[in-house]
Amino acid sequence: MQWMIIGQMAVSGAAMGFVYALVAYGFQMTYATSKSINFGQGELVMVSAFISLSASDMGLPYGLVVPVGLLSGAALGLFVERVAVRFALAQKGEGWILMTIIVGLFAVSAAENIWGKDERPFPTPISRESLDLGGGISVTPVELSVAFGVVLVMVLVEIFRRRTLLGKAVDAVSADRDAAELMGISATSAIAISYALSGAVAALAGILVAPITSVGPTMAATLILKAFSVAVVAGLQSGSGVAVVGISLGVLESLASFYLGSGWRETPGLVLLILALALRPNGIFGTATIRKV
Amino acid sequence: MSKRLVTEAGAFALMAMMPLFFGGNAYGMGLLTLVTIYAIALIGLDVTVGYLGQVNLGQAAFMALGAYAAGLATMSLGWSMAPALLAAVLVGLIAGAFLALPALRLEGPQFALATLSFASLVVILLNELESVTNGAQGLSLVRPLLFGVKLGPTGFYWTCLGLLALLWLGMRNLLSSHWGRSFEALRDSPIATDAVGLSVYGRKVAAFALGSSLGALAGGLYAFDFQYLQPDGFRYDQMVILLLGVVLGGRKSLWGAFLGAGLIVLLPNLLSSRPVFETIAAVGLLVSLVAAWQRRGDPGGLPFQAVAPVVATGLMVLGGFFVQSLEDWRKAVFALILFAVVVGLPEGVMGYVGRTLARLFRVRRQPLPEPADLNDVLPIEADRGAVRLAVRGLSCRFGGLIALAELDLEVQTGEIHGLIGPNGSGKSTAINVISGLYPAAAGVVVLDGKVLPGGSLTRAARAGIARTFQNLQLFLELTALENVMVALRHVYRLPLPLIMAGFGRREEAAARAEALALLTLVGLGGYAGVKAADLPYGTQRFLEIARALACRPRLLILDEPAAGLSSPDIKALVGIMGRIHERRIPVILIEHHMDIVARLCDRVTVLDGGKVIASGTPEEIQNHPEVIRAYLGTIAGDRASAAVTEAQPC
Repeated sequence: MQWMIIGQMAVSGAAMGFVYALVAYGFQMTYATSKSINFGQGELVMVSAFISLSASDMGLPYGLVVPVGLLSGAALGLFVERVAVRFALAQKGEGWILMTIIVGLFAVSAAENIWGKDERPFPTPISRESLDLGGGISVTPVELSVAFGVVLVMVLVEIFRRRTLLGKAVDAVSADRDAAELMGISATSAIAISYALSGAVAALAGILVAPITSVGPTMAATLILKAFSVAVVAGLQSGSGVAVVGISLGVLESLASFYLGSGWRETPGLVLLILALALRPNGIFGTATIRKV
Repeated sequence: MSKRLVTEAGAFALMAMMPLFFGGNAYGMGLLTLVTIYAIALIGLDVTVGYLGQVNLGQAAFMALGAYAAGLATMSLGWSMAPALLAAVLVGLIAGAFLALPALRLEGPQFALATLSFASLVVILLNELESVTNGAQGLSLVRPLLFGVKLGPTGFYWTCLGLLALLWLGMRNLLSSHWGRSFEALRDSPIATDAVGLSVYGRKVAAFALGSSLGALAGGLYAFDFQYLQPDGFRYDQMVILLLGVVLGGRKSLWGAFLGAGLIVLLPNLLSSRPVFETIAAVGLLVSLVAAWQRRGDPGGLPFQAVAPVVATGLMVLGGFFVQSLEDWRKAVFALILFAVVVGLPEGVMGYVGRTLARLFRVRRQPLPEPADLNDVLPIEADRGAVRLAVRGLSCRFGGLIALAELDLEVQTGEIHGLIGPNGSGKSTAINVISGLYPAAAGVVVLDGKVLPGGSLTRAARAGIARTFQNLQLFLELTALENVMVALRHVYRLPLPLIMAGFGRREEAAARAEALALLTLVGLGGYAGVKAADLPYGTQRFLEIARALACRPRLLILDEPAAGLSSPDIKALVGIMGRIHERRIPVILIEHHMDIVARLCDRVTVLDGGKVIASGTPEEIQNHPEVIRAYLGTIAGDRASAAVTEAQPC
């Protein structure tokens, strides 16, 4: 009995864990090219989910709702880069943290006024009926679709990076911005591309998680905190590390909320984060760099 | 009394008289009190955001901790106001240090994320520990007595204002002291701050804890002001508001914190009145249009910095026409104002005002003191011919590359020891390992008979190794004098509380005199007040030498001091080296100019491929076949190498 509950908790926790991993993966992309991340990424997730919901309300089939959501996410990512990041990066400071928070603040306010403050369900053609995995553990197709979508998009992005010229250009900027620019690669465009990709990835996270959590202005407020934790615990340099840490965090949380009470749900992530900071400040999968003079 | 003190005293007197105008108006008094409370929190936040240059998202949580500590101390333990506030400060200090110890090893986004997570954790704890905090239902409390006196609204306001005035003085003493300067130094070059032996990390932790304790104090006052607490009052929104205050008011400025506090308290009230909002928006649009007009001639079209504020304020004006309820769009309006200010006035309102004032009224520079006696600043070494530095079997590897293999080296007092070799021979690696920048793979560095711990610039510097850098590492925004003062560790001994209490002035005067003596030694006496960034290149190199000397080195390492110098500058360098030699300070000199090496060095060690290939007097080295081969390669026969020897400038 005990083990069955733990197993069930682990399965449903892992579904959320995939989403954390996906958002954190988006952070890792922009961090690689520009050493910056969008602190308003949660708002980006939320706005993309709302846009997809509106598309669905207008009668578009699910097969079109997803691309619309992804495109709006990419467009929002580009917007954030242009408005909040490019100028701040040119000033060589941490100004972008504040600027992206500000853009996020605006987005929340706009979403509240355009779509309302209420939580709304997100329609999906994927069944919510539980499938029995045996041993009393069950999983819903919606949860499976989350895992499948996350793995698919991570593979696609890796292929983009390794196999296409554009992807290699982005990777070159990540490796050495100055050298890439000397080879005629525009670092600014590479950073913009990484923000667009990161936005699309965040939008996908929103679309995948929306059937589970429902859509509202604050839907991503806690999601994003955990994605932050995952990114820092795994290290902002490692793409595969975030998947491992994300899924483990989802499982841990689900167990914590069962054994300690739902209010403690967010604690494992935060405790994990503080432990990681104390023991391995560059992340479990990160590496320290040599200081050069 | 200085003009500044008069202005400040005037401002505080005016604030203190405010109750005469608002005395009967409870609402007005409430706002005034809130301004002083927020000002305290913002001064604390400015320590990390302004001086340490890190985005701190945890101050709202420290306010929460302070508020609950003070509230629980009065309600559960029955403490009166003063001890309850002290408890809040202590909680802030301890929690601040607890967070800072791991978090300040991080930079930029990771630091911001760590503080953000801490803040969420605090809110969760306050919500969930219901037996202590009463959880989400909130905690009601009664304002306790202050030294047996029951405080009404006016009395409590004066208490807050008094505390603010005390903290204002204390922070100003601290920030204008060696502490404030070392934060600026840290921002310009962390490596050089380590290399002069300042424990940067320790100072950052102390500063963060101090800033956090101010947040907690503000939280305690907040608790006694509202007499009702809820964990959700200290969430993300509150943190954004605090950051808004610092950025709007202006970083690194006490006045900025004060102004920012006023703005964040008053803005919600101003926004609730439509005409006032429309006026603010229109004035903002006008100002940003004028600013954009002034930059119309910029090459490459109008910059983002000019366009963005126009768009943001333009949206506000449009919003004023079309939006039904401004209250619903409150966050968006905040965001637009913040955006316009952050982009258009990156230094905040006070930063802009300060710069304008400085342009209108020339600021009188502090007069320079008499330089101290050089024999006190840099005593002549007494022991002669003793071994100061002994390096045994020192190796260093980068992955598979062996950059340094079993280096043995001895330097005696009074000796200038040359370290030469072709590019890539391991000279720089050698001194980077000796000075603690890189950890050694094997071998020991012994200074004064003691083995150095290795792998830490700071510890090596504290043991007495001072160095310069081939690629200059100056504190560019500080003046030449301040660059040297940062390194005068032995002068600054007072602990932080005494500095805040204003006892640091005597040390400061002594440091200025000593720094001037060292600048004079390297021939920069006339440049004391010039910003390091504005000095000519050669002079910057000499400034680095002066800064290294300020550490009172047991061993001085100069990494290619003549690189890129013009010939008059090289003459000056030789003069400086001579004066250092007179004081019998042992020196390791890396240099490519053979004539300088031959003229200055007592002994020379030659490296090639990470190994010592020769050592001896300059004459012995010049004729050493291995050295010639390393520099010029082997050409068939003796004839060629004889010709090469003649061609050598040394």
